[in-house]
Amino acid sequence: MPKAGITTTIPVEVIFAAGWTPVDLNNLFITGEDPRALVEEAELAGYPRNLCAWIKGIYSTVLNHRDIQTVIAVTQGDCSNTHALMETLQLAGVEIVPFAFPYGRDADLLRLQIEKMMSFFGVSWNQVNESRERLGRVRDKVRELDRLTWQENLASGWENHLYQVSCSDFSGNPEKFSAETELLLEEARSRPPRKGELRLGYIGVPPIVGDLYNYLEERGARVVFNEVQRQFAMPFETGGLVEQYRQYTYPYSIFFRLEDIRREADRRKLDGVIHYAQSFCFRQIEDLIVREKLDLPLLTLEGDKPNRLDARTKMRLDAFLDMLR
Amino acid sequence: MISVGVDVGNKFTKAVVLKDGQVISKSIVLSGFDQKQSANEAYDQAIKEAGISKNDVNYVLATGAGKKEVDFANDVVSEVGAGARGAVYFFPSGRTIIDVGAEDGRASKCDQNGKIVDFAVNEKCAAGAGSFSESMARALEVPLEEIGPLALQSNNVIYMNAQCTVFAESEVVSLIHAKTSKADISKAVHDAIAARIISMARRVGVEKDLVMIGGVGNNVGFLKALGDGLEIEVLVPDKPEYVCAIGAALIAAERN
Repeated sequence: MPKAGITTTIPVEVIFAAGWTPVDLNNLFITGEDPRALVEEAELAGYPRNLCAWIKGIYSTVLNHRDIQTVIAVTQGDCSNTHALMETLQLAGVEIVPFAFPYGRDADLLRLQIEKMMSFFGVSWNQVNESRERLGRVRDKVRELDRLTWQENLASGWENHLYQVSCSDFSGNPEKFSAETELLLEEARSRPPRKGELRLGYIGVPPIVGDLYNYLEERGARVVFNEVQRQFAMPFETGGLVEQYRQYTYPYSIFFRLEDIRREADRRKLDGVIHYAQSFCFRQIEDLIVREKLDLPLLTLEGDKPNRLDARTKMRLDAFLDMLR
Repeated sequence: MISVGVDVGNKFTKAVVLKDGQVISKSIVLSGFDQKQSANEAYDQAIKEAGISKNDVNYVLATGAGKKEVDFANDVVSEVGAGARGAVYFFPSGRTIIDVGAEDGRASKCDQNGKIVDFAVNEKCAAGAGSFSESMARALEVPLEEIGPLALQSNNVIYMNAQCTVFAESEVVSLIHAKTSKADISKAVHDAIAARIISMARRVGVEKDLVMIGGVGNNVGFLKALGDGLEIEVLVPDKPEYVCAIGAALIAAERN
C-alpha cells in the first residue's frame, strides 16, 4: 500500500478509504533512532537554527524514507513554516498535497478542502463514511482509555499521551492498533486506582522531550488531561466527517481551544496546567492569552531539540509542584 | 533543633546552620566541577564554624542547581521555594522576590509564609544573570566588584541590542571602539540585565515589597537599574547570596 506522510492530524479517514497508509511524520521523526541527527541534517541543508525542531525533523525524516513520496501538508491551522517545508520537499521531488483548516471553522470551506483531498485520492463520500465508521470503533476504545485516566485513575499520563497521539495515523494499521489498545484497557482495569496525586493538565503540542510524564509521576503528580493529544483522538460525537473536523479544536483559534480546556479542567478537577510551547513557535505568543484567560496555576515550558528534560526544566517542574502543594 | 540548608549554585555552594531558627554559621565555596565535593566542603566548614558535630544536625535540606548531588541531605527543595522562604525571613512584608545568581534569574510572587504563588525563570540564555555582568567586566577590563559602582557614575541611556551574552560582548567591544565611556557601557550592561529581570517580574506581577536575593544583590549598579525600571524600592538582605540556603534551612526545621 502506498504511504502518505502527514505533517499533522488531517481527515485521515480519506487516506484509509483510498487504501493508502497514513504516516504521521512527527511520530516517525520523534520515535526514530536519532531524532537529533535528523534536526542537524536539516540545519546542514540550510534550515535556520532558530526554527522549530519539528519542522526540521520532518524534513529530514521524509528525505530518509524514500517510500514516502506523497506528503499532505497542512498549510492553515498549523505551523506556517509548513509552507517552506512543503516547498523544500517539493524541491527534493516529493509530491505535496496541501490541506487547509479554515480559520473561522466554516463548514463549506472545510468540506471543500476534504473533497479536494478525496479527489486526489479518488474516493467517494460512501467510502470515506465507511472508513469513518471503521476508525470510529478504534477511537471509542481510546476515549475509554482517556476516561480510565481521569475518572478511574487507572492509566498513566504517558499511556494517555501515547495512545491518543497515535490516533493521528493509528500507527498505519487501525485494527492492530485497536487490539493493542484493548490489551492496555484490560491491563489498566486490573490495576489499583492511583490516589493522592496532584492532577495536571498538559496543553499545547506534544512534548519533544520523552521523560516528562515519568518525571512528574515520580514526584507524585500525574497528567490526567492531554489537550491536543485528546483532540487527535477526536473526542466529540458528531454526525459526520465535516462536523468532526469542525469540533476538533487544535487548528482553530486559541479561544476555541480554551473553551475545551476550561471545560475539561473543571470536569477533571485539575490542580494545575502545564502549557508546552516549542521554541520559535507562534504558539509561544498565545501563551499570554492562555495566562490571562485560564484561571488555574500555569507553568509554561519551552522545548527545543529532541532530548530528555534538562536541569532547568526539571527545576521549573519541581518548583511548580511545590507551589501546587 | 539544628537544621542545615545547602544551596549548590552554578558558581558557589553555600551552607547555613540554623539553631532554633537563628543562623549560627555559614560557609561558601566554589562549586567547581565536582558539586558533590563542594557540597561536602561547604557543609564541613559550616559545621566546624558552628562548633557542633554532624550528629547534632536534625535535618539537612538541599537546594540549587546541584541539589541532587548532596547525598547527605534528607531531602531537596526547589530553589524558587527556598529563596522565597529565606526572603520572607528577612523581610516579612516581601511579596515579590527577585533572585539573580550566576546563571539564573528568577522572579516569584509569594504569600506571607513565603509560599510561592507564581514564578518565572530565565530561558535558555544567561543574559539576565550574573555571568553576563562578569563577562562584560572582562570585556571592559574592570574588576567584577567595580563594574556595579562604575554604572552609578553614568546617567546616559545606551540600548544594547544583543539578546545573548556572547553577542553582547562584541557589542560592548564596539562601544569601547566608539570611545564610549566605561561608566556608560557599564550602565548599559546593567540596564540590559535588569530589563530581562523586569519583564519576568512583570509577568508574575510586581507586588510590594520587593526583595532582591542571590549574589547579584551585591551589585549596586544592577540594584539601581532594577529599582529605576520597576519604580519601586528594592529591599536587599545582608549577604543576599546566602538567602536560598537560609530558606532551605528554615524549611528543614519545619519538616523535622
